[in-house]
Amino acid sequence: MPSPAEMQILGTSFSVAAFALLWSLPLAIACAFLLSRQFPGRFTLDGLVHLPIILPPVLTGFLLLLLFGRQGPIGAWLERVAGIHLAFTRQGAALATAVMTFPILVRAIRVAFEAMDPKLFEAAAMLRAHPLDRFFSIALPLAGPGILAGMVTAFAAGMGEFGAVITFAANIPGETQTLPLAIYAVLQQPGGEGAALRLAALSFTVAMAGLIGAELLQRWMLRRLKG
Amino acid sequence: MMTLDVDIRLRRGAFQMAAKFSAPGDGITVLFGPSGSGKTSVLSAIAGLVPSDGHILLGGCPLGDSAAGLWLPPHRRGIGLVFQDARLFPHLTVRRNIAYAWTRAPIERRHDVADVARFFDIVSLLDRPVGNLSGGEKSRVALARALVAAPDFLLLDEPFAALDGTRRRSFIAVLLEMQRSFRLPMLVVTHNIDDAAALASNLVALKAGQVVAQGLFGEASRDPAFAALLDARDSGAAVSGLLLHKGHGAAQRYLWLRADHIVLAMEPPKAVSARNILEGEIVSLRQEADGSRLVELKTAAGPILSRVTVEAVEELGLAEGRVAWALVKAHAL
Repeated sequence: MPSPAEMQILGTSFSVAAFALLWSLPLAIACAFLLSRQFPGRFTLDGLVHLPIILPPVLTGFLLLLLFGRQGPIGAWLERVAGIHLAFTRQGAALATAVMTFPILVRAIRVAFEAMDPKLFEAAAMLRAHPLDRFFSIALPLAGPGILAGMVTAFAAGMGEFGAVITFAANIPGETQTLPLAIYAVLQQPGGEGAALRLAALSFTVAMAGLIGAELLQRWMLRRLKG
Repeated sequence: MMTLDVDIRLRRGAFQMAAKFSAPGDGITVLFGPSGSGKTSVLSAIAGLVPSDGHILLGGCPLGDSAAGLWLPPHRRGIGLVFQDARLFPHLTVRRNIAYAWTRAPIERRHDVADVARFFDIVSLLDRPVGNLSGGEKSRVALARALVAAPDFLLLDEPFAALDGTRRRSFIAVLLEMQRSFRLPMLVVTHNIDDAAALASNLVALKAGQVVAQGLFGEASRDPAFAALLDARDSGAAVSGLLLHKGHGAAQRYLWLRADHIVLAMEPPKAVSARNILEGEIVSLRQEADGSRLVELKTAAGPILSRVTVEAVEELGLAEGRVAWALVKAHAL
């Protein structure tokens, strides 16, 4: 059984991954939908979304620090207007995780939008549905399984995010210390391998449970869609 | 009356269209033409799904007018469109597909869904997902859904293309009944002359993006430009008759009599198996591309065409002004 300290680490991981997903999902759905259509600037947006995959994670974390740190333009503004600190906090870890998992999320959802028959939108328009209505009543429900798949993958990847998180949010037990950061921390101490192995097993179990749960959920959703 | 006035120009690659016609706000107008004549493009332009130059008026109000820079988006036109493929929403049941249209229809024009379901005979399908409906069931649900959206004018793009034989005929009967019961004017695209005659009160004939004939079906179908659109084996003439409906009185409908199915006699025929015999005067003899002659007979039911061989013309002494009897085999009806 996991110890209280390990439970706390697991809790931090869950909370960081969940917040990351919560913040990035609406934007990811919007980006994915835009990218599934033709519009000027599509290529630029596509590049921007995929940037975190190409850049070294530490660099992404550093860029976040420059932008969202107390001295950074966005960070200073957030502190002045809302009193929010992001660097070295739980929400900061979530932000770094969100940026890193964003491309995974967008990619999965975009595939779902692209697979959709655009003729259904015409049919909806002829039944008096305006464009936003068509998005919420046709596109979103039909993309459901794709969105779910993206969420699961992004959540799993978010639990394991390392470079950007440690750079932007540091490794603070109980605040920003997620599973991979905890494994890194115990490995820094002599004789920490045993503790690292326990954390690794924990990490593996959680990931497997998540995958199986997601598979079942997706099957149920597809069954509902196909009838 | 919600008359639909169309005067549009559009270009798709090398294809150029300039179509001007009007479809009356009563009855069914058939938009007839061979494949590639631009029938579907006309419907898409009226629906607002593709941009076009010129103007489209519904009941005198512009839906689109390129000169005035006006263009209403499809969802604000009050136009319904039933597609060739039914395009039911796969994530919704039959009932929720219909409810989709119902919730978006103007409140004062909402239909009773139970009545509509009974009308289209889909009550037993209501709680089924749309994925496993048959072709005929899908098209009935699509019709019901389009009706429930309460459009001012309904466009139908070969909605029976996927149906055959009996199911096709019963679908046409449903369409006619629907037009009459709900007083919904329709513009129906087809390239099948029998379907056109069975449905049409009015005809608009399209060839290579141009309207070549239009008017009441009985008259416009006699236009040589319309006859030229038909396959040789489809050439014939429309006769009108009263179609009796169970409990709904009678309606004037047309029937397409193919010239190949009409036998001519120069004396009143006796002891023949054909059940329908029409007396008339020969008004013209036209030579066809294959050398046969198309004889036009003026009868009480309207002009009738019969195809005969050159030998028959000589043997029977067929000539303008002579009286002849046309024998119509019952299966041609």
